[in-house]
Amino acid sequence: MAELVNVTIDGVTVAVPKGTLVVDAAKKIGNHIPVFCYHPKLKPVGMCRMCLVDIGTPKIDPATKQVVRDENGNPVIQFMPKLTTACTTPVSEGMVVRTATEQVRAAREDILEFLLTSHPLDCPICDKGGECPLQNLTLAHGPGVSRFDYDAKFHNEKHVPLGELIFLDRERCIQCSRCIRFQDEIADDHVLQFHDRGRGMEIITFSDPPFDSYFGGNTTDICPVGALTTADFRFKARPWELQSAQSICTHCAVGCNITLNTRLETRHGGFEIKRVMPRQNEWVNEIWICDKGRYVHHFTRSEDRLHLPLIRREGRLVESTWQQALQLVADTLRAADGEIVLMVGDRIPNEDAYLLGQLGRAIGARVSVSPNVPSHYADVARAFGVGKDADFKRLGRGDLVLAVNADVEEQAPVWFLRLRQAVVDRGAQLIIAHHRSTKLHRYASAIHRFEVGRAPEWVQQQAETLAQALQAARHALIVFGDEHLDGPRARALAQLLANLLLQSGHAGRSDSGLLPLYPHANTQGVCDVLSPHTALPPAARVVWAVGVGDPQELPPAGFYIIQEVLHTALVEQADVVLPSLTFAEREGTFTSGDRRVQRFYRALPAPGEAKPDWWIAQEVARRLGFEWRYNSPAEIFEALAKDVPAYAELSYAALSRVVEQWPPIGREDLYYGGTAYDNTGGIGARYAAEAETRALPPYDVTIPEPTIAGLKRGPRMLYRDGELIRRSALLRARMVSLQQVA
Amino acid sequence: MLREKRAQDIEKVLAKYPPERRRSAVMPLLYIAQEEYGYCTPEAIREVAEIIGCDPTEVKSIVGFYTMFYEQPVGKYVIDVCDDLPCALRGADRFVSHCEKKLGIRVGETTPDGKFTLNTVMCIAACDRAPVLQINKQYRYALDEQTFDRMIDELP
Ligand code: SF4
Ligand code: SF4
Ligand code: FES
Ligand code: FES
Repeated sequence: MAELVNVTIDGVTVAVPKGTLVVDAAKKIGNHIPVFCYHPKLKPVGMCRMCLVDIGTPKIDPATKQVVRDENGNPVIQFMPKLTTACTTPVSEGMVVRTATEQVRAAREDILEFLLTSHPLDCPICDKGGECPLQNLTLAHGPGVSRFDYDAKFHNEKHVPLGELIFLDRERCIQCSRCIRFQDEIADDHVLQFHDRGRGMEIITFSDPPFDSYFGGNTTDICPVGALTTADFRFKARPWELQSAQSICTHCAVGCNITLNTRLETRHGGFEIKRVMPRQNEWVNEIWICDKGRYVHHFTRSEDRLHLPLIRREGRLVESTWQQALQLVADTLRAADGEIVLMVGDRIPNEDAYLLGQLGRAIGARVSVSPNVPSHYADVARAFGVGKDADFKRLGRGDLVLAVNADVEEQAPVWFLRLRQAVVDRGAQLIIAHHRSTKLHRYASAIHRFEVGRAPEWVQQQAETLAQALQAARHALIVFGDEHLDGPRARALAQLLANLLLQSGHAGRSDSGLLPLYPHANTQGVCDVLSPHTALPPAARVVWAVGVGDPQELPPAGFYIIQEVLHTALVEQADVVLPSLTFAEREGTFTSGDRRVQRFYRALPAPGEAKPDWWIAQEVARRLGFEWRYNSPAEIFEALAKDVPAYAELSYAALSRVVEQWPPIGREDLYYGGTAYDNTGGIGARYAAEAETRALPPYDVTIPEPTIAGLKRGPRMLYRDGELIRRSALLRARMVSLQQVA
Repeated sequence: MLREKRAQDIEKVLAKYPPERRRSAVMPLLYIAQEEYGYCTPEAIREVAEIIGCDPTEVKSIVGFYTMFYEQPVGKYVIDVCDDLPCALRGADRFVSHCEKKLGIRVGETTPDGKFTLNTVMCIAACDRAPVLQINKQYRYALDEQTFDRMIDELP
């Protein structure tokens, strides 16, 4: 526990850890000192002067070095001659802060009057209007009138594209440098800077391509005015028209907590997503999300959405009723005599995957997961993954991060931010082994190279040295990827890494363990709840594919049942098509790559007659004679928790638990933390790794020979997929360059 | 390419800094660029960024902050007249108007023949001999209209 010091703010005394800034100490007791440049996640710079307060400290007698006391024995407080910035001053014992004096009031008024001298005050057409710190603070602390001449306002460019995704309005910018500091301190892409000085000072980018960062969207959230807007959302809606639904990003294994902002539109006959915003979860994404999570949501209202079941008749897919389609599916499955492959994609929620698994097993189908490779090692991650109470924020000096075959920024962007901070800001050691360079390489204290696809062999050869390095560390986090490996070899890699944990005594310890870079939001969950077969038969009579992205994964079959949200290439080869719902149109749970089970809620109505996957599974099951009567994912989760040992202690109630988080986000604290959303939907819960509950033996590993198919498996790079915003040439450019490095 | 044209000078500058502090060489390298091209060209800014291993945006920001780095082409002679307060008390503003008239351009502009650029600058630490200017960084003190005109007329 850090040393506590007592500070009195407007008569209220509070004990806070040494080093706490006055502005944060005040926030903790509900005294909202206004700020613009200060942001609790960034280093203070004291640029805007909005936070001026009156600060005094106990007077010390220079001779005796003792606190001087008045006749009543109280310390004499010596106030500083001028007001001081609360955002740069750390508290000290006995400090007295006054924020309610006439002097402070006048200072706030003056600063706001100054900031507004050349502010355009175009709130009625500003995207930030309605959730703007400058608007709110002006109302609370600003002068009623300005003494500056309206016509003397300094005008500036209003639509400056900083990159393809972010626009700058130069006259709205108040030069707080939050955006610059976010890019420098958090994202480590130094693409924004100030140019010139005084009145000419402005934000520029001179990078090539200009504002190119996977995290750029976050600058628009923390910009305290409407100076930065995203190309995707600008002028699309006013904040007060938006509805919010708490959700989980599906694009990678991090499981960032997000808020889907929707608005009623006539165009799609219902609500549509207008923007995706971060939702605070200090154990997952803090208040950040990456650009993929922020911008890739248009598919929910894509023209290619499937609205009705389809049945192939005389070579052509024709619309049908659910009754006809379900009956056909049931009859076909019954007639297939167990020669069935049921393949479930790793974006399917836990509840649905569980029901599908139950049904598949009951009808003798071979149940597998797509993509197939991660299902080879998900059980290893379940056994040796990070501990139940692991917190990346605690990783620092004395701890070790080992990254093997992992491109963390590409495959789990927000984990990149968090691991980078553990290393750069808090002094954890980073060892990297890969066949190519990644952004994480910048911070490594040791870099090893192996040939493409040779990660398992490398770990085996280096086992002694690695185990020693791990042993010397307080906690050891091992992040690994499966690029250029086939299933069996990826499994060997995971097992070898797990053995390292065992050998060095880290297995089953909270802040230690494996962190797999799975491809999607629910890879771990799907593997957990349906115990998949990893090997597929060479062919089958019937293939039932649920949310499978890659057609190549399917074995040849006489009859294809394709359950999908979009009209993909797979749909073209279908005999029956069952339209299902995206995560935005329903509720459910996902299990992240670090095994945190999290709830997401419904934001949009279903398109057409599309149905959730669990409903479809249940309807098919009933036609095959099973008496299933689940009414909601919540009921299925209850059954799942009884059946899947790892989930035994989890329930919707437990997952919906919310706790006070620091810094406070959303609510009236908008000016302080930006426009991220408060978490009211639950912070989720991580289930224990098996190694935490009992002693596990080491794996007996023989590394299989590499296969061509395995070697050819490139990494799943988040910014390379065609499913990213197709309109963005910037993002397309990233895809090409990444293909080259892969 | 600056690196080819001024390889030795660049090496000399870089030698003064430990490799992990290369970034600190940004200002002397920009001076070399400015010497070579007359101003900090976009290409030179990118090249300097590459040499010291940082983002071009950061180098551009430095060029933008310091008034002695030029971002636009300048004339053969750059005249920086001080119009800060002490100089102003000695008639610098009137003197600047005269300079404008003599050269036929406004402050911040370059003569069409590319010979002269006229700027006003903050105090250049010669207030005791105001009005004062620097021409290509060489001081000229205690000027008046005649001495200024003579200086201009005599320059090759
Ligand atoms: S653009 Fe926004 S965040 Fe960046 S300096 Fe200006 S006001 Fe601050
Ligand atoms: S890091 Fe992953 S989960 Fe988070 S926003 Fe990006 S893609 Fe989504
Ligand atoms: S100076 Fe303290 S918030 Fe800006
Ligand atoms: S004010 Fe002109 S030189 Fe000092």
